[in-house]
Amino acid sequence: MIDRRTLIAGLSAALIAPRAASAETMTDAAGRTVPVPAKVSRVFPAGPPAAILLYTLAPEMLIGWPRANRPEECAYMLPEICTRPEVGRITGRGNTANLETLLALKPDLILDVGSTSATFVSLADRVQEQTNIPYALLDGRFAGIANSYRSLGALIGRAEDAEKLARYTEDTLKTITGQIEPISVSERPKVYYARGPRGLATGLGGSINVETIELLGRNVAGETQGGLANVSIEQILLWNPDVIVTIDQEFAATVRNDPSWASVKAVRDNRVHLSPKMPFGWVDFPPSVNRLIGLWWLAKILYPERFPEDLRALTQDFYSRFYHVTPSAAQIDHVLAGRD
Amino acid sequence: MYLRAGIDSLPRMSLDSISLARSAVPGFAIAIAVLIAGLLLALTVGRYPVSLGDLLSVLYAKAAGHRADVAPAVESVIWQVRGPRVLAAMLVGAALAVAGTAFQGLFRNPLVSPDILGASSGAALGAVVGIYLSLSVFAIQAVAFLGGLIAVGVVYVIGASVRSRDPILVLVLTGVVVGSLFGAGVGLVKYLADPYNQLPAMTFWLLGSLSATGVSDLLPLFGPVAAGAAVLVALRWRMNVMSLPEEEARALGVATGPLRIAIVAAATLVTSASVATAGIIGWVGLVVPHLARSLVGPDFARLLPAAAILGGGYLLLIDTLARTMAQVEIPLGILTAVIGTPFFIWLLASVQKNWS
Amino acid sequence: MILEGDKLTIGYPDRVVGAGLDVQLAKGEVLALLGPNGGGKTTLLKTLLGLLAPKAGEVRLDGVALSSRTVRERARLIAYVPQTHVATFAFSVEAVVLMGRTAHGDLFARPTSDDRRVAAHMLDRLGIAELAQRPYTMISGGERQLVLLARALAQEPQFIVLDEPTANLDFGNQGKVMREIRALAASGLGVLFTTHDPNHALRAADRAYLLRGGERIAEGPVRKILTRERLEALYGAPVQMITDGSGTAFIPG
Repeated sequence: MIDRRTLIAGLSAALIAPRAASAETMTDAAGRTVPVPAKVSRVFPAGPPAAILLYTLAPEMLIGWPRANRPEECAYMLPEICTRPEVGRITGRGNTANLETLLALKPDLILDVGSTSATFVSLADRVQEQTNIPYALLDGRFAGIANSYRSLGALIGRAEDAEKLARYTEDTLKTITGQIEPISVSERPKVYYARGPRGLATGLGGSINVETIELLGRNVAGETQGGLANVSIEQILLWNPDVIVTIDQEFAATVRNDPSWASVKAVRDNRVHLSPKMPFGWVDFPPSVNRLIGLWWLAKILYPERFPEDLRALTQDFYSRFYHVTPSAAQIDHVLAGRD
Repeated sequence: MYLRAGIDSLPRMSLDSISLARSAVPGFAIAIAVLIAGLLLALTVGRYPVSLGDLLSVLYAKAAGHRADVAPAVESVIWQVRGPRVLAAMLVGAALAVAGTAFQGLFRNPLVSPDILGASSGAALGAVVGIYLSLSVFAIQAVAFLGGLIAVGVVYVIGASVRSRDPILVLVLTGVVVGSLFGAGVGLVKYLADPYNQLPAMTFWLLGSLSATGVSDLLPLFGPVAAGAAVLVALRWRMNVMSLPEEEARALGVATGPLRIAIVAAATLVTSASVATAGIIGWVGLVVPHLARSLVGPDFARLLPAAAILGGGYLLLIDTLARTMAQVEIPLGILTAVIGTPFFIWLLASVQKNWS
Repeated sequence: MILEGDKLTIGYPDRVVGAGLDVQLAKGEVLALLGPNGGGKTTLLKTLLGLLAPKAGEVRLDGVALSSRTVRERARLIAYVPQTHVATFAFSVEAVVLMGRTAHGDLFARPTSDDRRVAAHMLDRLGIAELAQRPYTMISGGERQLVLLARALAQEPQFIVLDEPTANLDFGNQGKVMREIRALAASGLGVLFTTHDPNHALRAADRAYLLRGGERIAEGPVRKILTRERLEALYGAPVQMITDGSGTAFIPG
């Protein structure tokens, strides 16, 4: 008994001491002060965007996924990481993870990527206070991804690798936006982002879900600022988009034969594009770094003459850098076809 | 007084021979036992393993003022995660039970719950609006609390302005109508909400949960609950009389109008605070008063304290289930309904003699 | 001490039931209020109790307007025995009678041993002491009426007002309650009761007050007032009167 106690006391002291010694802190995207842990080997993702960000930088540190991955998705990821257990989402987003479960998993860091509104800031503060585990809230928008990588790299001690991914992000954004800049806004194609099996949910102006579209084209639903919203078919007819982008296979298949959609310009011109989604959506689902490759994809769709790059080569490159896998030609075909 | 002269001439009767119908002691003992069992269970059971030994050494260390030699995570679990949650569960359970008991007396109907005047609908609307506006957690709770108070205030003002011989019936009908209106408001806000960020939070809140309870939640909960419960407990003798028809109560010397306002205000205070902290948890305010009644009888003087104790233990046990039954958290409102409904049907069948 | 109504106009917020009514009740006497349904008996009774505000005129107790006394003060002077009803909660008989002591304590008061003594005494006095621990919902209608009477007595009032005290009772219990009413007056209380049965008025009351259509048709000592003609005029129906050596009785014709 006494031996066990001294052992536990000694271990506790050993664990605590370095933590106390490292008084380093950093500021996250929400302006919060986050203590930098001395050594990080286990990170808890607070939601899907965080899980993906972490997977791309340091897959072995990922404790688990907010929602379990499907076997089809694991073909495009490191198999032993992909099959890590489901850990639920944390407080405030649907709240399926129990704080005690979180503590029992012994993370060194909690990572959250997404909204920095007051709700999520106060939640982050509360969880950090209750569990004594550093909670970092990072930005998932395109403009913030590079910095998010750098912040994450600093937190988990992978500054070099983080810098590489940050550079890639910045270069991609610079190249693509540079090419489109000369095109005036009014000349850019009008795009409708169709969500859901009936295609009647979309992202309003400024929503992170349509960032890809708003960067490259004009979001028909962009006049109103907000998040996601439901719209009616009449509204879509009124908008008359040139291009429709969707991630839903069922919608993509049926919209061509649906009489109520028949007079929409994008449908008439056969410009309904099914976004690739393996292992993670290229345009959305979730709105994280997975969308970088989607920028190339959509750019080539909207401005084929300006973007002669080889999409297959880009895909290979992106998948090996970010997802740590080398897909075969057949797999790339499968992904580009937007199939499951 | 002529009657007094008569009484004084009677042989002195001992209190034992005119003692209460049946002693309430066994009933109270059971209620307290449930609470203590719930407390012990809740503190030692959970996703993070905390042994009884760890628990005791942490408590002892705090009392003695030195550091306990357990892993720091254990201390976090006990003081920051499980401890506040356990306290909150007891407070909310007691609050809802006491409010339900008071309303059952006030409305002379054993099928009444604390939501009858729309406090829950008002708090729900406040909370979803707060989530929609992306307010901080504290602000969301504050708006929910205010929403509950405002809803009942509206009901009371409308109800009081309608002249009627049955003020209770008017209150109930107004409560149903206003509650519906606020419920429609909740539906509207849910429809407008961001399905990715906001809607899951709203849905989970509406189903009731204590999962993120921290120390900072305890004071805003304890204040209103203590104040409201104190008023109700102090008025428990009067509640017996308030459960009589209006005219009888007045003829017995009770100012029913002001007393009704006081009881409604106090019950609404505790209900709003509970809903603001824990979301909508039904069936506690309906089932626990009946359980308490079967333990100690219908006299509100005993019923109210018994309901408070039993309510605390009841919700504590259910919350312990909610966080240990499965890998993920089960919303409290679902559990209380699943457990409460058959329980209530059983009560209806077997304990009918306690109400006409 | 007198309970009196002075030129009362009685009714509800939306309608007038009676006007220009004068009523007096002194301690130690029994007044019976008779009349057909809808004639205003219950309205007058509630107005005299202070449960309904008079639309005109004043109710006075011991010279002081009833409206100037608090509800609590009134309860210590006048007690109300309503018609028995089905109760929501099964309080014990003793708990019910204890509620009569409410006006003798303050807002947060609990029953004192004094209160319990009074309650026990009243139960004893009405011969229902053995019912003390029974649930109120599980005794007979007649017993319930006596319990409500005990509760009223526990208020230690000067006046007792009973609304149709024999309405739900069997024949035997009717007699018992009527005897009790006489005993109450004999012990110094002023008693007012409404009844449909002129025979009860004859037996238990000193004076009768006949009310029809909100108007006082007659008032005075029972033997003088309760005649066949007057009762026929009151109820608008034939009445038969039977007299023999032991007393008088009225039967619907």
